[in-house]
Amino acid sequence: MSNTAKPLAGAGKKVRLRGHLTQYLSFSAIVLLLLGLSLTQQNFLGKMNMSNLFRDTAPLMIMAAGMTSVLLLGSIDLSTGAMCSVSNVLFVRFLSEVGVNMPIGLATLSAFALSLGFGVVAGFLMGYVHVKLKVPSFIASLGFMSVWQSAALLISERSSPVPKAVWGAIDWYKVSFGVVGLPLIIALVLVVLVFVFQARTTIGKNIYAIGGNERAARIAGVPVDSTKITVFVLNGFCAALGGIFLAAKLRSGAPTIGDAFTLMVIASCVLGGTALSGGRGSVLGTIIGVFTVALINNGMNFIGVSAYWQNVVFGLFVLGAIAISVDRSVRDLAIK
Amino acid sequence: MTTERKPFFSARDITKSFSGTQALKGVDLEVYPGEIVGLVGENGAGKSTLLKIIIGAQPPTSGQMTLHGQSYQPQTPMDANANGIGMVFQEQSLIVNLNVAQNIFFGHEKEFREHGFINWGKMNKAAAEVLAHIDVTDINPRKKVADLNFATRQMIEIAKVMNVTNAQQGKNCLILLDEPTSILNEGEVQNLFKQMRRIAAQGHAVVFVSHRLDEVLEITDRIYVYKDGTSVGTLNTAEATEAKLYEMMVGRPTTTEYYHLNQQTKPEEQVELEVRDLGLHGVFKHVNFKLHKGEVLGMCGVIGSGKEEICAVLSGDELPTSGQVFLRGREVRFNSPKEALEQGVLMIPKERLYEGVVMMLSVEDNIAMSNNKQIAKGMLCSPKAVARQADHWIDRLRIKTSGRKELLMQLSGGNQQKVVFSRALASNVDVLILNHPTRGVDVGAKEEIYLLIREMVSQGKSVLLLGDTLDECIGLSNRILVMKDGEMTGEFDASVEAKPSQVDVVSLMM
Amino acid sequence: MDHRVDRSAVTIADEFAEKIRQSNRKDRIIRTAPLIVLAVLIVFFSLTAGRGFASASNLQAILNQLAIPLIVAFGLTFVILIGSIDLSINGTVGMAGSVFACLVLNSEYPGLNMGLWGALLAILASVVAGFLVGIIYVKLRIPSFMVSFAFLYICRGIGMLSYQGHPPTIRDPLFLSLAKASFLGIPFITWVAIILFGVCYFIQEYTAFGRHIYAVGTNESIPRSVGVNVGRVKVMVFTLGGLLFGIAGVVGAIRLGQGQVGIGEGLMFPAQAAVVVGGTSLAGGKGGVLNTVVGVLIMTVLSNGLVLLSVNPYIRTGIEGVIILVAVALTIQRSRQAISK
Repeated sequence: MSNTAKPLAGAGKKVRLRGHLTQYLSFSAIVLLLLGLSLTQQNFLGKMNMSNLFRDTAPLMIMAAGMTSVLLLGSIDLSTGAMCSVSNVLFVRFLSEVGVNMPIGLATLSAFALSLGFGVVAGFLMGYVHVKLKVPSFIASLGFMSVWQSAALLISERSSPVPKAVWGAIDWYKVSFGVVGLPLIIALVLVVLVFVFQARTTIGKNIYAIGGNERAARIAGVPVDSTKITVFVLNGFCAALGGIFLAAKLRSGAPTIGDAFTLMVIASCVLGGTALSGGRGSVLGTIIGVFTVALINNGMNFIGVSAYWQNVVFGLFVLGAIAISVDRSVRDLAIK
Repeated sequence: MTTERKPFFSARDITKSFSGTQALKGVDLEVYPGEIVGLVGENGAGKSTLLKIIIGAQPPTSGQMTLHGQSYQPQTPMDANANGIGMVFQEQSLIVNLNVAQNIFFGHEKEFREHGFINWGKMNKAAAEVLAHIDVTDINPRKKVADLNFATRQMIEIAKVMNVTNAQQGKNCLILLDEPTSILNEGEVQNLFKQMRRIAAQGHAVVFVSHRLDEVLEITDRIYVYKDGTSVGTLNTAEATEAKLYEMMVGRPTTTEYYHLNQQTKPEEQVELEVRDLGLHGVFKHVNFKLHKGEVLGMCGVIGSGKEEICAVLSGDELPTSGQVFLRGREVRFNSPKEALEQGVLMIPKERLYEGVVMMLSVEDNIAMSNNKQIAKGMLCSPKAVARQADHWIDRLRIKTSGRKELLMQLSGGNQQKVVFSRALASNVDVLILNHPTRGVDVGAKEEIYLLIREMVSQGKSVLLLGDTLDECIGLSNRILVMKDGEMTGEFDASVEAKPSQVDVVSLMM
Repeated sequence: MDHRVDRSAVTIADEFAEKIRQSNRKDRIIRTAPLIVLAVLIVFFSLTAGRGFASASNLQAILNQLAIPLIVAFGLTFVILIGSIDLSINGTVGMAGSVFACLVLNSEYPGLNMGLWGALLAILASVVAGFLVGIIYVKLRIPSFMVSFAFLYICRGIGMLSYQGHPPTIRDPLFLSLAKASFLGIPFITWVAIILFGVCYFIQEYTAFGRHIYAVGTNESIPRSVGVNVGRVKVMVFTLGGLLFGIAGVVGAIRLGQGQVGIGEGLMFPAQAAVVVGGTSLAGGKGGVLNTVVGVLIMTVLSNGLVLLSVNPYIRTGIEGVIILVAVALTIQRSRQAISK
């Protein structure tokens, strides 16, 4: 009995280590970037840049919080960015066409409800097609990505500003306490809620079981289908909230605003130690990942690296992070 | 045959162990030119493992193989092919979207390359020749395999294997057939036998593995009987009868205390689970039985008899296509294992690694997997309840672990299985389906599991048991059902006084 | 011993055979479905869009529109045949187009004038990208959709970097004339697609590599057991994909007369939809470039017809997404126990 237990014990440590390794790397990247940038760039640690940095991480953090649960299942949602876009233009168009004729409180509420409602429905559709029709999540989300991209363009062909009359609906975004803005606080509260959801609720436990071994979870009577759909609904909600945050941040809506986010969101989760193969990771790690991504972005802007490089750098970062965290002991890839 | 007969292939004292458990404890096989050899034995007797070793898919742990008088140590199936040994696998290994010729010569395309291009005409002609060699002339080599029926595909598999023989001009070849008849009908089986005889008549040899004894007796010249990874003996088919083979196949029944027979209780009258005319199209049909409260109902049958799928249907993993299931007198229909669990039916699956445990979760989370909703406080789980429950079962089943937080992958097989049992017991279901509950666990853990099953039953739970061995199934059960080819072939009383003999059970299985 | 099953009745083996027959029948229907869909579309648009659809000038337009989607879809077909996927298309095509325009005689870098070598180098860049996707997928065991998704951004970035925000206009007379050239009434770029179809069909049907692609897509363990290097086949497929995407990028730049990453935008979804609609299974091992031709025809006729019916062009991408979803949902092998991630 003991002779078989020993090599397995080693494997256990290795698996744990791999998840942590990416987190350590992300963490050291944060420290190095902070050190390097603050030493070489005079205004980097200035109040202005810091508050920008903290504020701007909020939309990414919200979307990454939703995506973490999806990745924990071993699934993926490539339509996150497109859902964010739809929510974004929906929010702005509603405010500028209907909201201007309403009391500001009601306008704000209904705009939020509309966008978030869309996110929930979109997430549900995605989950339903994936779970009930057994379409692999990356394919299903690819199809929905295309659908939502087109929906966003149909809602608003080009970017349009939020009319001054309804700025009351987005003013909360500029509220700040020192360098920490309200958006980041909201985002962190959401992360804590997602953490409680993942770590303390029965659904959360089921997520880890499904991600770890879906077949075993099913046989043990875990409600696989409903858990998965719940997670996709949550992800849709988060993507939509991210879209609203972006509208508030830029005071405008743009039908392609979410496109660039999909990869950044996945990057944040993976850099935070969540395995693409499912079952390992946590939304707390994602916070580290989000700050790493945000710092790289901010730092590159600050030292004036052309925006074109950022695409290349992020692509390489994602591959590097996945390469470290991927579990090569599994014989065949679940997703090809 | 009057010429001096010498085996051209022999395997001596082959052993094979997988991570501690011995699948082969020393088997022998000798094959003479021009003969058809049958291999028979229960599931797990080691037939398939031996074939895999001969074909080079797995290395033996120890033992000697010789071919044409020389030592034979294949590293890959390709080595085996190059030496004139080919195998038709149980699961078909044809690429259905390629045509017949391309399948026969798959991986050997280079032989038809001319000026950088492959001469397909030449390949088609060669394929027709290979097919003609086994007297198949009605298959067009240009036809896509997807458009052919299974019997024809089998012929192509054999042709593919026979292609190795062409490469081995003049030498005798060895063709291994692993359960080739399981998906064929009567006429197709006869056709296959005709081909086998033809191959043998050319001086090649065939090793035929089948669960169907009547077929083995019909087609083979000599029969090897394996049991528990050892060779029991060899018979000339002319002298063999089914009864004789059954006698050799089954082992001596184990001592009564091994299965704690003194603790075997009588089931109650009350029926927990009843199955009426249950069927799954193309897999099993007309299945009827009643499972009483406090009863262990054993289900015996070879692989492919449909018993695994009955478990899948009853545990909600699969929907039946006909028939009814009644639980405590009420008709039920499980759309998922979750629904079955809610009604009080749970399965302990066969493949622990793939369907039983979540390796990267802790012991406590694995135990709480089926009942975390019951012990939760509303939406939130209760870590305390989870921990209490885990400690209870670790103590009760004596699970060897450094603590409830330890990851499951760090436990040994037997202890992992105990965790799976803990989960099932914690979920407090009335009907447990035990699909090979002692598979891959060591002797000590096995005994504890037997005792556990006795205890569960005495507390009024009902168990549907698919034993890891026939002996185990008979030893533990109150009653035995026998399945063959998707239908029930018999039922035995297995109360303490009246345990059926293994021979009787096996004779209905094969 | 007379408990044996009576074999004269319908046995399980017969039921099993019946099941196989049914699934074969379904397969046959699925095989002919794309052609029926195409015919229905043509009839529908001929009736609703009036003469505009069947006119010679519109046929010419369709032929012109076909070229780049065809080339891209051919590359994707092989990738899907091995059961993988390539999401980097928009990036690689855009990169090849941009790099090509920078390397030939152009408005931004007048010093660079490599002519045909420029085209070859641009295609080479895309080939390298395809090779890298393949090798990272195979060696580091990262799912292909993830690797190629990252390369979408990487290649797009490289494309933008190549011209630093100022898309170069092509001034090379040879390439400018090719944009307008035609032979037998068929535009030059469509000829490129037709020739590539021949090459791809040949690779698929008449080379060992083509046979191995099917085998890898059907069940990797079969080719592995006869000594085929499965990893090598996969890397070669992605490299071949890169080659075709590169050619598509160069052709796209020639057609546009300018190099910019925008050449690649909006190519991936139609290509994906075309391959799937044509009947190539996402599970791998089934379909081929001939199916893809039908699929691209369907997608092109559809988008052309929608334009004639003056449907909002943005709906088109949405329809492509729905088509992918429906086609996959209709053809996927579903069992209750199957796990889809």
